[in-house]
Amino acid sequence: MSALHRRDLLATLLALTAAGGMPALARAAEPAGAFQDLDVAALERIGRAWLAAHPDASAKSLGRRLFPGGRNAGTLAELRRRVTDDFRRGAVFIHRGWRLSDTEGALFGLLALGNTAGARA
Amino acid sequence: MAFIDAKALPDASRIEADLVIIGGGLAGITLARELAGGPIKVAVLEAGGREIDMENQALYAGTGVMRGPGAPDRPFNDYPVQSRIRALGGSGHVWGGKCGPLDPADFAARDWAPHSGWPIGHAQLQPFYDRACDLMEIPRFGPQTPVLQDPQRRPLDLDARDGFFPAPRYFTKISGGADKAAFDAFCTDFASAPNITVYLHANVTRIRQTAKGDAVAGLDIACLDGKRHTVTGKTYVLATGGIENVRLMLASGGIGNRHDLVGRFFQGHVTHSMDGNAETEGSAVNISRNGSMELYVPKGRAKPHCVIGSGLAGQARMKAGNFTLTLYNGGEPGTGTPTQAETLAIRQTATRVDGGSGEGQLLGCFAMTEQFPNPDSRVTLDPASLDPLGMPRIRLEWVYSERDWDSFERSTAGMADALGASGQGRLCWPVQRADYVANCSASRHHMGTTRMHADPKRGVVDPDGRVHDTANLYVAGSSVFPTSGIANPTLTILALTMRLADHLKLEMGAAR
Repeated sequence: MSALHRRDLLATLLALTAAGGMPALARAAEPAGAFQDLDVAALERIGRAWLAAHPDASAKSLGRRLFPGGRNAGTLAELRRRVTDDFRRGAVFIHRGWRLSDTEGALFGLLALGNTAGARA
Repeated sequence: MAFIDAKALPDASRIEADLVIIGGGLAGITLARELAGGPIKVAVLEAGGREIDMENQALYAGTGVMRGPGAPDRPFNDYPVQSRIRALGGSGHVWGGKCGPLDPADFAARDWAPHSGWPIGHAQLQPFYDRACDLMEIPRFGPQTPVLQDPQRRPLDLDARDGFFPAPRYFTKISGGADKAAFDAFCTDFASAPNITVYLHANVTRIRQTAKGDAVAGLDIACLDGKRHTVTGKTYVLATGGIENVRLMLASGGIGNRHDLVGRFFQGHVTHSMDGNAETEGSAVNISRNGSMELYVPKGRAKPHCVIGSGLAGQARMKAGNFTLTLYNGGEPGTGTPTQAETLAIRQTATRVDGGSGEGQLLGCFAMTEQFPNPDSRVTLDPASLDPLGMPRIRLEWVYSERDWDSFERSTAGMADALGASGQGRLCWPVQRADYVANCSASRHHMGTTRMHADPKRGVVDPDGRVHDTANLYVAGSSVFPTSGIANPTLTILALTMRLADHLKLEMGAAR
């Protein structure tokens, strides 16, 4: 997870909390602290479930897939577009009955990988 | 004119009328109401009394089983008694009063839906739906129906390409489950008309045909006290419900059964859902917006609302039958277990991906799927088991097919994908195919067993409701539905009955 650290991913998720997206991301000096309403362990378990069906996925490949242009003003809009596309073509990840887009699954997967890497560090 | 207890008549009485309505349920009563005060002399034959009585109910006893692929048979032996009422007003006694029309798609011939297509269209029935709504004292359905015009009740912003739409439902007070006084008045006030006589405790045990077998010659009536009567009329309407209509026709030598169709194509309505707990997910929807969901989840029971329906375009895209998702307040789950924590994490993430904030709104849901017409799903008679009046009891084999479950799963997936693609929310559907039969909850809707079709080889009654090859016998009620849709059938039963009333007035020279 060299290009995208856990705190970066959390920052991205944090940005999802703001209607405007990027302003919140830009303000996120310490995103993990501001992410207190998200249960990271739960996110990580969901991510592991997605990874179980995608054993070849790595933090690097997921980072490239989810943020091909890095994080910028269009990141959130691009994520939402991918989610829509996933649902339109039936690319879904079903977790305990919840039917999510595969992109959301990958997001959880990236977090799980990042968290593992962070723990090791 | 009057209510007459058939048990109080002298034995072997002979009843005569122009029109004989067999069955005093909502269909029979509505037909009589339409004719009240006119020149046609009408006799309504009701097997029960004014109120529910267990001795009468016991005459409905039979056997039943629900069957579906990949799952054990589910015994349904109580269903023949518990799903209908043998009393004046019929199953209206236990009806909750929910009204909705069938969708235009329900009338369409759909090449992915076997045996689909009505010989009449939704547009032809619309004037009768309007009249039925007036009769039930509810707003008329259509694009301008009030519940869809309320700016405080905003529908979900689903992409029209997905084919899902808000399908309105209203509740009438004229049901035994809503306003007993209003229901009782509905069931009785028409009988004061001089041309109407309602006979109670008058169990029709046989429909006698003419020697040629091309018309009804008369009826045999039996009372539980041992009395026997006969009835003759010019025209007869069978309106005893989707199971009993079959019983009478088959027990009368197979009237209308030249092509072995009577009793086949039984369709019912069931709901599918799953309750969650701290360790397992239940069926639910998380809505990403924070605005009001009152259009779908009204405040208070029996209030106008919408379910999410699947229109013809959506059905064609998914190669599925009709489908609805009904939302309700299920309460906020806890956060103390790993399952609950994951649920919250999913809700938060999906809501944020959709541009919302917080965790969205979690609602419970149940789903309904159209049962495709299936000739193997059927009502038959058990000649070895007779009721106290000597009538053979029924056997119900309620059979779902692989095609039904495939359709259902495509619909739930399509619904979930539509919510997600439109950024409106996510669906949690943990119900497994192996559990569909065991876990479903059955409604009291019995449809399709005397299906309507212009071709006698494909239907029991013609588009007017007349039994093919039997000149003076009609069938009213949901047994004539070729397909069953999702909506509660009562409003369509009433609309079809009013249409039949107009037809009979013309045919019997009583049109004004």
